[in-house]
Amino acid sequence: MPGLPLPDPAGLPAPIWLLKFLSVFTLTLHLLAMNLLVGGTILMAISLHRGKTDPVSQRLFERLARGLPVTMSLTITLGVAPLLFVQLIYGQAFYTSSVLMAWPWLMVIPLVMLAYYGLYACQFRPAWLGKYLHAIAWLSALLILVVGFLFSNNWTLMLAPRTWHALYNAGISGLHLNAGDSSLIPRYLHFMIGGLAVAGLGVLLLGRAVRKEDAEMAERMEQIGRRWFLMATGIQVIVGFWFLFALPQMVRRFFIGGNMVDSGVLAAGILLAFVAMAIVRRAPGVAALLTGSTVFLMVVARHRLRQILLTPALKINEQVVHPQWALLVLFVVLLLAGLAVVAWMVFAFVRAGRVRPDAPQGG
Amino acid sequence: MNYPIWEIPMLGGGMLIALVAIVHVFVSHFAIGGGFYLVLTERTARKTSNQALLDFAKAHSRFFILLVLVFGAVTGVGIWWTIALVNPTATSTLIHVFVWVWAIEWVFFIVELMAAVLYYYGWDRMDARTHMTIGWIYAVAAWCSLVLINGILTFMLTPGRWVETQSVLHGFFNPTMLPSMFLRTAVCVALAGLYALISGSLVKDQEAKGHIVKYSAKWVMAGVAVLPIFGFWYISQLPPMAREISMGGAPAVTLFATGSVIFSLLVVGGAFIGPYLFPKHVHVTYAFGLAVIGLLATGSTEWVREAVRKPFIIYDYMYSNTIRVSDFNDLSMTGLLAKARWEVPSAEERKSPVKLGRRVFRAQCMSCHTVNGFNGVRYLVKGWDREFLDHQILYLNKLKGYMPPFIGTDEERAGLVEYLLSLNDDSRAGSTVSEGGQ
Repeated sequence: MPGLPLPDPAGLPAPIWLLKFLSVFTLTLHLLAMNLLVGGTILMAISLHRGKTDPVSQRLFERLARGLPVTMSLTITLGVAPLLFVQLIYGQAFYTSSVLMAWPWLMVIPLVMLAYYGLYACQFRPAWLGKYLHAIAWLSALLILVVGFLFSNNWTLMLAPRTWHALYNAGISGLHLNAGDSSLIPRYLHFMIGGLAVAGLGVLLLGRAVRKEDAEMAERMEQIGRRWFLMATGIQVIVGFWFLFALPQMVRRFFIGGNMVDSGVLAAGILLAFVAMAIVRRAPGVAALLTGSTVFLMVVARHRLRQILLTPALKINEQVVHPQWALLVLFVVLLLAGLAVVAWMVFAFVRAGRVRPDAPQGG
Repeated sequence: MNYPIWEIPMLGGGMLIALVAIVHVFVSHFAIGGGFYLVLTERTARKTSNQALLDFAKAHSRFFILLVLVFGAVTGVGIWWTIALVNPTATSTLIHVFVWVWAIEWVFFIVELMAAVLYYYGWDRMDARTHMTIGWIYAVAAWCSLVLINGILTFMLTPGRWVETQSVLHGFFNPTMLPSMFLRTAVCVALAGLYALISGSLVKDQEAKGHIVKYSAKWVMAGVAVLPIFGFWYISQLPPMAREISMGGAPAVTLFATGSVIFSLLVVGGAFIGPYLFPKHVHVTYAFGLAVIGLLATGSTEWVREAVRKPFIIYDYMYSNTIRVSDFNDLSMTGLLAKARWEVPSAEERKSPVKLGRRVFRAQCMSCHTVNGFNGVRYLVKGWDREFLDHQILYLNKLKGYMPPFIGTDEERAGLVEYLLSLNDDSRAGSTVSEGGQ
């Protein structure tokens, strides 16, 4: 393949295995938040719709509306680190695919902002929005789904170096997508439906947390959450196989016995999802833990897919390394200190009682 | 060179970055100054048991999170998005050299975000002491993230000893790092006041309004008053050519530099005459107008700061067109297109100097120039003949100090000349309206 970008001569600031680990780990956190956001926003819009005739659904809407803007903040913030590492390790692929789809990719920014303001509007001004509230809630969900689609486009285009030159020669206005890729749709659905499953689980756990305050609502939340979790995870298994079989055969091989580690990771992820489905009624906490582990294993599988597709073409593992150990240590120390500060603040907030702060201003 | 080019009609990449960056800077500096403003206002209100002032701080904090957490944070990511699209090679350098600084900044970003959210939701929930502690945590974390980003940003203009040592600490603690940090901190203070004037002018209680508006005007005036001191310090540390460009070397830059000073004076004057002298009479449109002038001041200053970096994107290391200074000799020997990964001329293109030249233009010029839009070459070469064009390109960096030298073989230069001539030729203009459309 002629003319693929060369690695940055500045080299990597730490051994590549460490950077890959940080990339996988921080991406797992981002995806969990993203899942809660995607699924939570859809569930919020549905609850609002049902709330017309059902007061408990209306209360569920309010509860979700209160949590979603912060979830959006967390999704963005936790997305910064994996995006940093992807540019560091796979910049050759990431920058190229991004430039090829520059306009759609740039649209992520205004779309996220609009969705974010939509969520805040649902939280702060539901009465003021009146009849537009439904439209705003659904619009926010739609915008978030579109953003997800754009991400799936870039993340799959990035894995297809063979297509880059043809796209570039077809036009340099940055208007391409990766629509020709047969793995695009199943991959996209796999991520979005995962959102519904994780958000369902989130609603279920939230329901358990409010049992003492509001038994009726708690019961309903547990019921709704469980149903969504089971349904979405069930569909997820089917879509997952669609995704697997949409991959080129030489790649799929790795995950179906060709490479024991890759196949083991994928199989373990699927297995844990089944176990989580089986025990979610009795032990939802454990089910959440297992689902979190499934997400982590799937991120590892996703990472392996990228390795298989990019390493030979871009010589990812041959980049020079100029370690900056002192700064790395400083980062870790500050990260721990930062997390301690956050933990203290959250603790102080929770301890301070359960009075709703913005009830009088909620409009 | 290493990455594909994105053709942005009319605006060009530089202008697109400027648009995103200027609005972000205007909000993000407020995000920092505003944190200090909020917590200090809350402290005063609690000390003096001033309920109206406390209510104002609370209302202002909602405005604050809606603007800062959404617009500020998302446009911040937006700049990153934009520079990576317009200038991937330079972005990649910044990421590779400073990855741990970015990572540390990310830690402060997390703390900042959580503190902002909990501060806002904690108004009626937490005791005053804990609430204010969280306010302080927010303000300090936000300021620390400024210090970190400022180090990277100033590195681009004055990388200092990094160019020889490649040491990340030399790059971070570069010659303009400190003066710029103080400058930006002062801007944060001024902007905190400027935004608070908007919220303050909406307060119904006249007594409280008078107090808040006057207090906010002092923030504006204090912030702007110290700008000249740090400004001179900053300018004294600039590379000589950057100083020359801003002080007459390039008329457009000088104009913007003058604009920056005039707008700043207008802001400080406007804050004194209205909000300081007649605080109870300040209408929200006046406060808003001052904020718009503040935006113009910030915008023109940032524009000048970007412009004086020419002909480099990272001073003495990488030219504006992302060609590394160290690659100059090599590329002059092998030719540009031999190394350009995306501009691979076909056999047919090799036979046509115009088409070959178009490839050279894309690889070497399009980082800064559009064809027909902002900084469009079609207008820049209007009326030039072949001999004049060739002379201009051959001595590009000597004739225009803010441009990098032309890099390439004689054949490539001849091709570029023919391509530019084709733009100049009215009879053929129709066929070259859009660079990407061919």
